[in-house]
Amino acid sequence: MLLQATRVSKHYGGVQALRDAEFALAGGEVHALVGENGAGKSTLARILAGVTRPDSARIVIDGRPVSIRHPLDAQRLGIGMIHQELDLFPSLTAGENMTLGNLCYRGGRIADFCRPFFAQVGLECEARRAVETLSIGQRQLLAIARALSMNARVLLMDEATSSLDATSVERLFAVIGELRRGGVAIVYVSHKMDEIFRIAGRITILRDGATVGTVEAAATTPTEVIRMMVGREVGDVRHAAPDLGPVLLSVKLPGIGFDLHRGEILGIAGLVGSGRSSLGAALARLHADRVVLLPEDRRTQGLMPDLSVLENATLAILPRLARLGFIRRGTERREFEPLGRRLALSCPSLDAPVTTLSGGNQQKVLLARWLMRGADVLFLDDPTRGIDVAAKLDIYRAIEELAAAGHGIILVSSELPELLRLAGRILVLNNRRLAAVYDAREATQERIMAAATQ
Amino acid sequence: MTRDLLRRSGSLAALLGILILAIAISPTAADGSRIFLEPGNLTDILRQISLIGIISLAMTFVILTGGIDLSVGSVLALATTLTAMSLTRWWPDAGYGAHIARTIALVLAVSAAAGALNGAVTAFLQMQPFIVTLASMIGIRGLAKWLSNNENIDIGFGRDVAAQFAAVFREKAVVIGSYVAAAAVFLVLLARTVFGRHVRAIGDNERAAEFAGLPIRRTKVWVYALTGLLSGYAGVLYAAENHQGNPNAGVAYELDAIAAVVIGGTRLSGGKGSVAGTIVGTLIMGVLTNMLRLKNVDSNVEMMIKAVIIVLAVAVQRPRKEV
Repeated sequence: MLLQATRVSKHYGGVQALRDAEFALAGGEVHALVGENGAGKSTLARILAGVTRPDSARIVIDGRPVSIRHPLDAQRLGIGMIHQELDLFPSLTAGENMTLGNLCYRGGRIADFCRPFFAQVGLECEARRAVETLSIGQRQLLAIARALSMNARVLLMDEATSSLDATSVERLFAVIGELRRGGVAIVYVSHKMDEIFRIAGRITILRDGATVGTVEAAATTPTEVIRMMVGREVGDVRHAAPDLGPVLLSVKLPGIGFDLHRGEILGIAGLVGSGRSSLGAALARLHADRVVLLPEDRRTQGLMPDLSVLENATLAILPRLARLGFIRRGTERREFEPLGRRLALSCPSLDAPVTTLSGGNQQKVLLARWLMRGADVLFLDDPTRGIDVAAKLDIYRAIEELAAAGHGIILVSSELPELLRLAGRILVLNNRRLAAVYDAREATQERIMAAATQ
Repeated sequence: MTRDLLRRSGSLAALLGILILAIAISPTAADGSRIFLEPGNLTDILRQISLIGIISLAMTFVILTGGIDLSVGSVLALATTLTAMSLTRWWPDAGYGAHIARTIALVLAVSAAAGALNGAVTAFLQMQPFIVTLASMIGIRGLAKWLSNNENIDIGFGRDVAAQFAAVFREKAVVIGSYVAAAAVFLVLLARTVFGRHVRAIGDNERAAEFAGLPIRRTKVWVYALTGLLSGYAGVLYAAENHQGNPNAGVAYELDAIAAVVIGGTRLSGGKGSVAGTIVGTLIMGVLTNMLRLKNVDSNVEMMIKAVIIVLAVAVQRPRKEV
């Protein structure tokens, strides 16, 4: 084995991103690293590249144990990484990007240094061109050329094709094939089954931060890999879709069209980047008066971290609580308290900063903000991401109550069991288009993943 | 433990410390009493901090929204100039009361409009407030100098309307009373009103404020208009105090106001802070200046000491690093 990583663990706050994950890479292979959103694949790649420090890890290269504590350590060991959002400096030139922080560049004309590597990846561009004038595909090739110029023997590629058009993808695959034949080992982080089975020799599957297994691509099928990604246990409690009320919202967007009924919980499945979050933004924009959006990232898009729990909850209805511009603080409190009880909000004081609450309770505060506003359509973008099980159940109950009260709910989730449990119908998005619609009773995790990844 | 206590009590502890120091090292009068504690000296301090104090109240709101206003000194200069011009040259036939009322109304309207323009450009063109108010700092100073032909416009000591105006508006009670009234209004505005809540929310997380449907642009225009208004009123007081309209007045006032706000614990990136903190911050600077002047400390040394105090006050209050 060229590289062997064992017992790799890493936590962020209360979330265990990796627990004793394992990964082994042979020389000259294309090895796919797959898993659902949040399975830990990018974290593992970043640890190998020295960008993220693990809590613990044992990494052996060429039979020698090594410690990778810094990107320059990785560079010396011949490990290069192409990040998802290419880590290039947009205002600097291609040549400057090639040479900055590059231990192998020891002066001389930058253009001469770049030429052989540009030729190797088939990048036609002058070294003095600013990176921001290059296409995304060209930037990708530049990032690869940069890694190669650092004598990389191992190339980690994180979601390399996520923003590439079809032609650039073909070009990239051709380059990957060339590199492999030249002896470079490639770790291809992805969840796109068609790509993985086209280029990878072996596949390692991660689930919930642990390694499920490594398989030969030739000896398995996409269905089998998907099964390993999502695990066996399928959501147990299933609700028969209730009789649908009248149509509440008719959505007609390019590539995506559906009706939302009164009292319906409509599930949306799809990978990150499949258009599920931009759907929410589009709906909130088009029907600003009726649709409220509980954004995916509650920290950057929802919460005011230094405002109190109560202030966060009532933020969107202040004019209603005020007389002559003065907030009636008793009314404010009285309006919120029953709702807080209904959501089983647990917080020491309504006047404490909202960031002192757990993730689940923070989410409840945001949910309360929109409930008080009384919108009839709620777009919930991954409302249970990163929160603990008990809080999840409270939020499930709140969602069901809302639907029963006649709201229409669009629920985006990365967790398929959650969708299967709550939603009556599930729409699967893939590449910003509606790929499939399932009745929850006939949907399975495997079928949804297949539609989302093909 | 000590650090925790310091952080929570914030700038108030710093003020107490400086007060105790000021009393301790105060020179004594012939009868042995401490000069620092004499009522005349204490009210002098309040009067000296009132102009910066008034401006820094509004500056607190600007900074809470995540903005900054560098133009306050220039608006003050324009206001002193307009005040003096209006009183000495315009409306010669008006009665004294009406003349003074019209003058103040005019000055406040122009100042608030200048501030509103800052806010509108910042909010609607989505430009950085630093750049917008840097431009207006230059432009408004130019306007003040151009209007006055680059000269001070004197307000005399006779019995004319300008002199009468100055006599009233340089009274300690009027100056300090203005500051106290403005402080009370701004305390309530921030703590109790929808507007104040919106100001804090926008500075805390503007993206989330947008998602929550808050009136971001309207709020910003109001915040900068209020800053213009208060800077203009400070200009009226300045003209009375110095018996002149001075187009070169108020240079670097923006820095003193910002210093008072940050010493008071308001975060420069917005969202977190209080009017009470700013008042304490203003008092700290005022007491410090008074204490050093009573001891005849060189004014250059005074600046160096102030620099240290600013850094210390903010360092003590910075939040614990998140784990």
